[in-house]
Amino acid sequence: MNSFLRLLYRDLKASLWSTKSMLAVQFVTPLFYIFVAGFAYASLIPPQTVGNRQINYVLFLAPGIVVMQIMFAASMAGAMLWLDKRLAMFTQIIVGPFSRWQYILSKLVSIMLQGMLNAFLVFLIASPVLVGLTVSPEGVLYIVGSLLLGALFFGSLTLAISIFIKSNEAFNATLNVLFTPLMFLSSVYYKLDKVPVIIKTISYANPLTYAADMLRAGLLQDYAPSLPLEIIALIVESIFAFIVATIAFRRVKP
Amino acid sequence: MLVKQLEELAIETKDLSLRYGSVLAVDHVSFSVRNGEVFGFLGPNGAGKTTTIRMLTTLLRPTSGKATVLGFDVATEGGKIRPRIGVVQQDLSYEHALTVEANLDLYGVLWDVPKRERKERIELLLDKFGLKEVRKTAPPELSMGQRRRLQVAREFMHDSELMFLDEPTTGLDPQARRVTLDFVREKVRNGATVFFTTHIMEEAEYICDRIAVINHGRILALDTIDNVKQKFGGISVIHLRFAEKREGLELELQGLPGVQKILHGEQNGESLRVFAEDANAALPRIIELTTDLGVHIAELKVEEPSLDDVFVEMINSKGKKES
Repeated sequence: MNSFLRLLYRDLKASLWSTKSMLAVQFVTPLFYIFVAGFAYASLIPPQTVGNRQINYVLFLAPGIVVMQIMFAASMAGAMLWLDKRLAMFTQIIVGPFSRWQYILSKLVSIMLQGMLNAFLVFLIASPVLVGLTVSPEGVLYIVGSLLLGALFFGSLTLAISIFIKSNEAFNATLNVLFTPLMFLSSVYYKLDKVPVIIKTISYANPLTYAADMLRAGLLQDYAPSLPLEIIALIVESIFAFIVATIAFRRVKP
Repeated sequence: MLVKQLEELAIETKDLSLRYGSVLAVDHVSFSVRNGEVFGFLGPNGAGKTTTIRMLTTLLRPTSGKATVLGFDVATEGGKIRPRIGVVQQDLSYEHALTVEANLDLYGVLWDVPKRERKERIELLLDKFGLKEVRKTAPPELSMGQRRRLQVAREFMHDSELMFLDEPTTGLDPQARRVTLDFVREKVRNGATVFFTTHIMEEAEYICDRIAVINHGRILALDTIDNVKQKFGGISVIHLRFAEKREGLELELQGLPGVQKILHGEQNGESLRVFAEDANAALPRIIELTTDLGVHIAELKVEEPSLDDVFVEMINSKGKKES
């Protein structure tokens, strides 16, 4: 087996298994958002016009929640690096037949795979609210693309943060402080065309908005005029975040 | 000839140094390790042992000097070195959520050991390192010694030409320590080379073919254990027990060349401890003197300085000189 694949296998088996309680939370939380909050708000919020049809709020919310979970799942990349450093496994691995480059890439790819699996399971359980939707092959590309790019961006971001911040507590606090505005200043919970200009402006600088819009485009055929630009911005920002994480990773001392 | 000599060396360093800010942690260290030997790198805590290992295993880049491992430059050819070495770090390391058995198996996967071989090795290592009963237990539930045994055993899941063992027996009980050292010896018999750091001199005497003693980043001695003892050992102690008490004998012995001091033994008056620079030279003189005086020696025992004595003496005397 190729050395990168062996490292990826190790990440999936050891690191993710060690945080299985967190994985369970990541799986259960979106179900509450969709089936509890979604239906509760749907009774207050009238059906939304998406593309050229009316959909209820639950259907609008579901893709946003999946993307938001990708963001939370991606924070595992930073947590995995923390754990490896604390248990001296980081040193043990890079003193073996692996490069630092392979190490960081395996972390990000394992996060992407886990995010995809997580999203698939959420879609599966949320299937009652998705009844009647048909997804085209092009739509599948949008969905997969948004999940992969979202995982790459937020995985790289949390890896870089975990490198610069010295304690685990500070790392968790930073993510909480960062993720809350990212969640609310985005198109995860609401359409941005009717929100105040300042919120709209900030939200359109948020990669979470791009990923949510991309996923909605794939699932609901909601192709906003700004979508091509959003996709380009998400690709560029994801690559940029990956480069920053890779450069920052050179600072990690074994 | 030069090529053959190079092939015989697993490690070669020349003026290897590493500086952390204003501290010179490793100071122009030069030594070589031959293929197939256990090379002991001894020194007190903070002497520079681990820093040297970290340079040799390509984790740290030397500030100056040169080192080759298995013929490759540690500064520029790390990728060629790492697949051929095994490392047991001083810090405990393991996959904390996996069982002992799964830890060993996953490490075998990382080193691309085929499945059947992994299974065989796991059984062998669980048995050798006394981990069979805890094979389904995860490390956080193990004792410190068991975790250390797991960490050492894990490194034998794959074959390496050169092993770096950084104080691998820390936290082990004497029996586990002996098992570990014997297993290392067995690997060396099968062709491996071992670079072994410790500050337990008994261990070094048991396992090492040659040793280097390092302190404050500098090598103080480099040779076989016997030669190091001879060169740096200093004083031997000759225990004498006489059949009868003889007044003035102590003074007569004290006057012999090479005798440094005399202390009374446990049986005051009948037993003496003679401290001599060279026991081989002092013994015939002692026997000649006692024969001339008509004193019968009931028991004679020469105690060579232990490696512990030599080590302490070397570290202390060097420290005094430096201060």
